[in-house]
Amino acid sequence: MRSKSTAIGLVLLFCALALPRPAPAQTETIDEVHKKALKEGGALNCYCTLAQINAEKIFPEFEKRFPGIKVNHVDATADQLAARAITEARGGKTFGDIFQGALENLVQVHQQGLILEKLPPEAAEYPSNLKGSYWLGNNYVIFIGAWNTEKVKKGEEPTSFDDFADPKWKGRLIAEPRDAELVIGLMHKHNSLEKARAILTKIAANNVEFHKGHSPLAELLVAGQGAACFTCYSHHYPRRIKKGAPLGYFLTEGIATVSPTAVFKGAPHPNTAWLFARWAASQEGQKVYALGGRTPAHPKVEPKEKIRPAKIYAVGADDIKQFAKYEKIWKEIFKLR
Amino acid sequence: MSMLCDPALLVPVVGAGVLVYLAVLPLFMLVVGSFQAEVAPREFVYTLKNYQAAYASQYTYSTFMNSIIFAAGSSALTFFFGATLAWLVERTNTPLRVVFLPIAVVPLVLPGVLEAIGWIFLLSPKFGYVNVALMYLFGLESAPLNVFSLPGMIWVHSVGQVPLAFLMMVAAFKSMDPSLEESALMSGANTLQTLRRVTLRLLMPTSASVLLILFVRTLESFEAPALIGIPARIYVYTSEIYLAFNEYPPDYGRGAALAIGLLALSAAGVWLYTRSTREGKKFQTVTGKAFRPRQFDLGPWRWFGFGFLTVYFLFVVLLPFLVMLWASFLPFFATPSWAAIQKLSFENYTYLLGFRPFWDAMQNSVILAILSATVAMVLTSLIAWIVYKSRLPGSWILDFLAFVPITIPGIVLGMALILLYVAFPLPIYGTIWVLLIAYVTRYIPYGMRSASGSILQIHGELEEAAAASGASWWETFKRVTLPLLRPGIVAGWIYICIVSFREFSTSVLLATGESRVLSILLFNMFEQGQVTVVAAIGILMILTLLIIVGLFYKISGRVGIQA
Repeated sequence: MRSKSTAIGLVLLFCALALPRPAPAQTETIDEVHKKALKEGGALNCYCTLAQINAEKIFPEFEKRFPGIKVNHVDATADQLAARAITEARGGKTFGDIFQGALENLVQVHQQGLILEKLPPEAAEYPSNLKGSYWLGNNYVIFIGAWNTEKVKKGEEPTSFDDFADPKWKGRLIAEPRDAELVIGLMHKHNSLEKARAILTKIAANNVEFHKGHSPLAELLVAGQGAACFTCYSHHYPRRIKKGAPLGYFLTEGIATVSPTAVFKGAPHPNTAWLFARWAASQEGQKVYALGGRTPAHPKVEPKEKIRPAKIYAVGADDIKQFAKYEKIWKEIFKLR
Repeated sequence: MSMLCDPALLVPVVGAGVLVYLAVLPLFMLVVGSFQAEVAPREFVYTLKNYQAAYASQYTYSTFMNSIIFAAGSSALTFFFGATLAWLVERTNTPLRVVFLPIAVVPLVLPGVLEAIGWIFLLSPKFGYVNVALMYLFGLESAPLNVFSLPGMIWVHSVGQVPLAFLMMVAAFKSMDPSLEESALMSGANTLQTLRRVTLRLLMPTSASVLLILFVRTLESFEAPALIGIPARIYVYTSEIYLAFNEYPPDYGRGAALAIGLLALSAAGVWLYTRSTREGKKFQTVTGKAFRPRQFDLGPWRWFGFGFLTVYFLFVVLLPFLVMLWASFLPFFATPSWAAIQKLSFENYTYLLGFRPFWDAMQNSVILAILSATVAMVLTSLIAWIVYKSRLPGSWILDFLAFVPITIPGIVLGMALILLYVAFPLPIYGTIWVLLIAYVTRYIPYGMRSASGSILQIHGELEEAAAASGASWWETFKRVTLPLLRPGIVAGWIYICIVSFREFSTSVLLATGESRVLSILLFNMFEQGQVTVVAAIGILMILTLLIIVGLFYKISGRVGIQA
């Protein structure tokens, strides 16, 4: 009796091993997503903070790669895009497909329940500090120090953010009023919020002049409105220097914040949005971003220009959760509203 | 039934209905919004806390004072320039005044963003061309002029508004019957006495109207407060509203409460205006008699007038334009130097030739400018007739409603229209049609002022004569009233066309990629630091507008009173 049961069991085991297994679920290819996207009308509403000078190089490549899809670029600053998306949601509708902009503003949109909690499969190639449950880093924005070479003598050039605390910069500095990331970056550098606060307080004593917008800030620096700027974007300077602008910048250190991509919940063109999110995250898409003048977030794709500092103090997702706190400190130090 | 088909009743009713829809609905959204506070995403409660936040904060007094000083200073300076220029051009024998007429319109053509940038590059205390020149010429140690100040804001805003005052005063001067002035001169009064005691008094309603619009328009302006005020940390109402909408979460309630305050100020202004024009008949100078506006002989003083026009043209009109032109040929902004001259090229213009967003935006802007000016002037001509010539009870309410949109800052109107049209059954949100509605709504007050300023000067005897001769209401309106309104209609159409073309603060929220207009493209590219490309776009915008305005002048010259 016992040997009969054993024999039946072995036969059953043999059959189980011999039977073909069902194939494991496979991720759709990007071209399969493209086919689905074409059925949605061929438009992508991109709420993206990409500068025109980058967008005109990046979006045509996407359109070429995926014929039949046209990008409708809704171009504004990240805070304006967030305000737009939140306001439209108030009316009960979602018009955007993709949000790509500053992480702190994406967090705001997410807090309103407007973002899809999903990551593309390409996110597996990114380190954990460049992704969350609903966002994936697309490109870096790196703060560095820059100066007008006609206003700053040789030997006087700054080599770090701390240098701007020197009283010799009194009345000679310009900056952007919304860059509380400096608090976070200096905190990481000195491992102390109080040290960061002390340095920024000394910089504030130099009577910093604030101007909204990083690109206008760069132009004002070229024109000589200030001798130096301590909240400049690194990718703004190589192009201007190539055109002959009297500028210099340091790459000894930088404070990096990531500009992520996310898909809107209830997007009018969900498959098209997903197509863009996957392409932007892929190495192929990231190379296009690099050629378009941005600093790609993908660990295996290098930027086209020399804009990545030797030492980077990154503003991470945990920092962003407390951004309001750091923003308050920044505004208190510089007496901003 | 026959009463409803009567055009004399139907037209006012339909016109009033359109006006109520355009002017009242955004106002309704504003009022409701001012009492709402968001307690969770898309969950609202009704409260008075927004008003407390708007009017009982530590910044309330400074914001109020800055706004009043900015508005009063700007409107006074603008009116001084506009009225003086209009008088010199239309009513005196100042040499070359005819040449100056189209030139005076040019500052209107510059978008507010470009204008502010131009004056920053002229009057910045660090690198402004004017300061650099003055310091060099007079050996000064520091810059004498600073655009980043309240006087700087007043100057930059004023010079952009002078053409508005100029066009409205030109229309009034053109429509004046000179017989009263001739009587004064024949009675022994000199030119100055006639000007002071006859001409200026006859122009009081128009002057009050112009000052009122300038005051309210300054209160609701956004470009100078944003580009000059914020860096200088001088905050006015619109800065506060902008800050409220761009903080997180957007504080619509506080922004709407601030906008209601602006509305209250302008309502007070309308009431004052209504009182001042209650006895409008005393100021009517367009009568049944034929006339030609009289020109004063200034004698040797005409060269002073010529000097005034020349200095104004060179410093206020030409200089910012030259700065833009200079910048448009540079790869990046630089003060004039031999090194900069060597960098001049057509690179920015060749870039624009192949830049698709530029041509899309240009098409949208041209279509919107022409359509909004036409729709607004047709509507406001009808409304002005209803208010000042019909005997309909309560018609003064229409005048108030027509003025209401001027009190809603552009950015707030954009927000209100988003809320209205984002859930609208017709899919016009995100298209140029919602922008058309926005522009017409926004510029009804200007059309109304132009049309009413002219209609006030038309005596009823002309229309009574036509009616007595058997003409219907529509025939009288078409063949008698409308031609007499031509100066006001032309002035209003030109102004609305130009400001629609450069409109920014409402468009910034409503325009999307497909419906983007030139002003938004300009702003986006300025925020992205492409200042010299922005300058090139500005030059092309100016040229386009000059062509449109020139064509309209030519076509409108064929319409009007038959000699």
